[in-house]
Amino acid sequence: MSISHRGAATALFAIAGLTGSAVAYGATAEASQDPTTSSVTARGDIKNVIYLLGDGMGRTHVTAARQRYYGASGRLVMETLPALGQVSTYSVERRSGQPGASDFVPNLVTDSASAATAWASGVKTYNAALGVDAKGNVKPTLMELAKQKGYRTGNVSTAEITDATPAGQMSHVLARGCQGPAYSEASCQDTEVTGSPLPTSDLRVTPVADQIARNGTADVILGGGLARFDRADQRALRDQGYQVLGSPATQTVATESDLDAASRRKVFGLFNKGNLTIEKYKRENPDSAQAEEPALEEMTAKAIELLSRKRKGNGFYLQVEGALIDKRSHANDAAQTLEETKAFDDAVKVALDFAKQDGHTLVIVTADHECAGFNIIEKGTFTNAEAAAPPLNADSGNPANSSTPSRVGGNVKDPARSSGTINGAGASDPKNFAPATFRTPDDPAAVQDGTPEASLWLSYLSGNHTGADVPVFAYGPQSGRVDRSIDNTDLFDIMGHALRVTQ
Amino acid sequence: MYSSPEPATTTGPRTGDRRWPPHTVVALLLGVVLVGAILFRIVQHDSVGAAATQREAGAVAAPKAAAPSEAAVKTDLPGIVAPTGEPTLGTLADTHPAPGRVAHARGPFDDRFTLSRLSLDRRHVGGVLTITSDVSDLLELQVLAGFYDRHGRLLGTGRFVHHATGHAHAHVGTPSLKEPFTVPVPERLRGEVHAAAVGVPVLVNE
Repeated sequence: MSISHRGAATALFAIAGLTGSAVAYGATAEASQDPTTSSVTARGDIKNVIYLLGDGMGRTHVTAARQRYYGASGRLVMETLPALGQVSTYSVERRSGQPGASDFVPNLVTDSASAATAWASGVKTYNAALGVDAKGNVKPTLMELAKQKGYRTGNVSTAEITDATPAGQMSHVLARGCQGPAYSEASCQDTEVTGSPLPTSDLRVTPVADQIARNGTADVILGGGLARFDRADQRALRDQGYQVLGSPATQTVATESDLDAASRRKVFGLFNKGNLTIEKYKRENPDSAQAEEPALEEMTAKAIELLSRKRKGNGFYLQVEGALIDKRSHANDAAQTLEETKAFDDAVKVALDFAKQDGHTLVIVTADHECAGFNIIEKGTFTNAEAAAPPLNADSGNPANSSTPSRVGGNVKDPARSSGTINGAGASDPKNFAPATFRTPDDPAAVQDGTPEASLWLSYLSGNHTGADVPVFAYGPQSGRVDRSIDNTDLFDIMGHALRVTQ
Repeated sequence: MYSSPEPATTTGPRTGDRRWPPHTVVALLLGVVLVGAILFRIVQHDSVGAAATQREAGAVAAPKAAAPSEAAVKTDLPGIVAPTGEPTLGTLADTHPAPGRVAHARGPFDDRFTLSRLSLDRRHVGGVLTITSDVSDLLELQVLAGFYDRHGRLLGTGRFVHHATGHAHAHVGTPSLKEPFTVPVPERLRGEVHAAAVGVPVLVNE
C-alpha cells in the first residue's frame, strides 16, 4: 500500500493529530468519570479541594439516614462517592509527643478541637486544643498554607464560626473555650501545657473571634456565632475588604437574602448569634425568624460560587461542616440527628455536582468523630439499657459458651426501664430507655414514626463522643488516597498534597 | 524515528508523483499522534494556569512541594489590644438596682440563658442559670456580679467561673441545662451591699 496524494497525506496527519488529542482527552475524561482510578493522576489536575465533614457523624449515622430517607436499598449522596475508607480519630493527652515518640500518650476518644487540629495541622493534640500541638507549639493550618499559596479559601459551618471545627482552620488557641468576644484566664490559658500563664498578647490566648476577624485566613466565612464578634471586629473585617453581611456592631444577624446578594471576593456572614437553627425547627416553623437562616447546602453553593470565580492560577480550598449532627446526637435526639445528617448530605450534593462539572476538584466527605454510640437495633428487640439486669461484661471462663448465663436472671426486658418508644408511647417517661422508631420509605404508608410498627429502631449508647472510626468518602483526582484505613492526620497530607502546600 | 530497508532516495518526499512506503506512513502517523497528545496536554494545562503549567513541567522530575511554613500563621493582628484583666460588662455601671433587688446586667449571650432564683444576702448573691440553647457541652461560663450600695451605686464586683478542664471534662454524663451559681460578697464590702446585678460575659456552650 502507498499514499499517492499530498492532500491525502496531509489529511492523514490531521486525522492522526486529532486522534492523538482525542486519545489524550479520552484518558483524562475517563479519569474524571472514574475517580477511583484517578489517584495516579498528576496532582496538577487538582485545582480545588472541598472538604466536608459531618460533626459526630459515625457510620451508623450515615446508614440510619440512608434508611430513613431513601430506604434500605437507597444511597445517600455521600455514599455514591467512589472512594471509601475509614478514619481513626484518637487524640493525645496534654504534653504528649506525636505517635512513635517516647512520650506519646494517646487519648482514645477525641473532641472536635483535637480532631480539627489533626486534619488542619497534621498533628495529634489534646482535646480542646486548636492549631497547636500537645506541647502548645503553634502549627500552621491547611487553610493558612493554601491562602499563602494564592488559593481562595472558604469556611462554612452550621455552628458558631468560632466553634472548634471551623476555628481549627483559622485560629491557634490553647483552649477551644477561648472564643470571645472577651478574654478570660479560665477560658484561654492552660498552664498544664505552658507551665505558667502566657502574656495576654500571645496568639494562643487571643480569642478565636479576634483572630478570625483579623487574620484573613478565609475569604468566605459563613455560619453562626455573631455574639462572638463586636464593633471592632466589624471594623477590622471591613478594613480587609470583607463584605460584612448583617452587623456585628449592632448584633444584626445576616439573612438568606443577604447571602443571595453577596458578591464580593471576601464575604463574612453570620446568620445566628449562636449556632444555626436545626432544620426540623425551620421546617415546622416556616414563619419564624430562624427560617430566614440559609441551609447548609445554600451556604455551600454560595461559597463555591464566590470562590470559583477566580479563573487563573490556583483554585480554592473550602471546608464545610454540618455541625448539628453532633449537637443533636449529644442530646440523643434521633429525629433531629437524622434530619441534620440529611441536610449535610444535601450540601455534599452541591459540592459533588460542582466537582463533576469542574473536573479538577477533589471532594472529601468525612467526620471528626462518632457521637453518642448511635445504633440501629433489630425491630422488636431491646438494648442492654432496657434489660432487667446488666450484662456481666466479663469473661465467665466458660469454654463452651453455653452454661453461664450472661445476666443474672437471664436477658429479659424490664418494663420499668422500657416503657415504649421514646418518640411515641414512652415519650413522657423520663426513666425510659426504649429506642426511638422511624418509618422508612419501605414501610407501608400507614406506619408512623414512634410506633412499634416502624422499621427503623434507633438507640444511643451515651450522650458523649465515642472512639469509633468514622467513614471517609471521596470523589475526584487523588480520591483513591482515602480508599483505605487512614488516620485523621493523614487527611492533612492528602489535602496538602492535592493543594501542593505540603510535602 | 524510523528506519527503512529501502534506499534513502526512495523514502524521502518527492515532488510530483510522491509515494511513501506504508511503514513510513505508519511511523509518521504514530509520531503525529504522539505530538497531538502532547499538544493537548500543554493546552489543557494552560487552562489551569501558569502555576499549574510549571508544576506539570515538574512532573518529569517530581516537584519539590513547599514545606509547611510557620510564616503562614499571622501573628500580627491589627487593632488588637491585649487584655489586662478579666472581662467586665459595661452595663453594670448603668444598672442601679433598688435595695434588696438582684438585677440582670445585659451581656452578649442573653439570648442563650434564663436566670432564676436570684437572691442576695449579706454574704452572697446567687441563683440558677438555665441554658436555653445548645447544651451538648458547657465549656465555659462566667457570671459577673456587681454589688451596689443603698443608692444604687456600684461598689465592686465578684465572679463565678465554670471551666471545663478538658480532661474528663464535660463529656461526663448527660449535659446539664442548669448551672447554680454563687458569688461571694467581697470581704471589704460586707455590710455595705444593698443590691446586686448579675450578667454573663463568658459563655461557651456547644
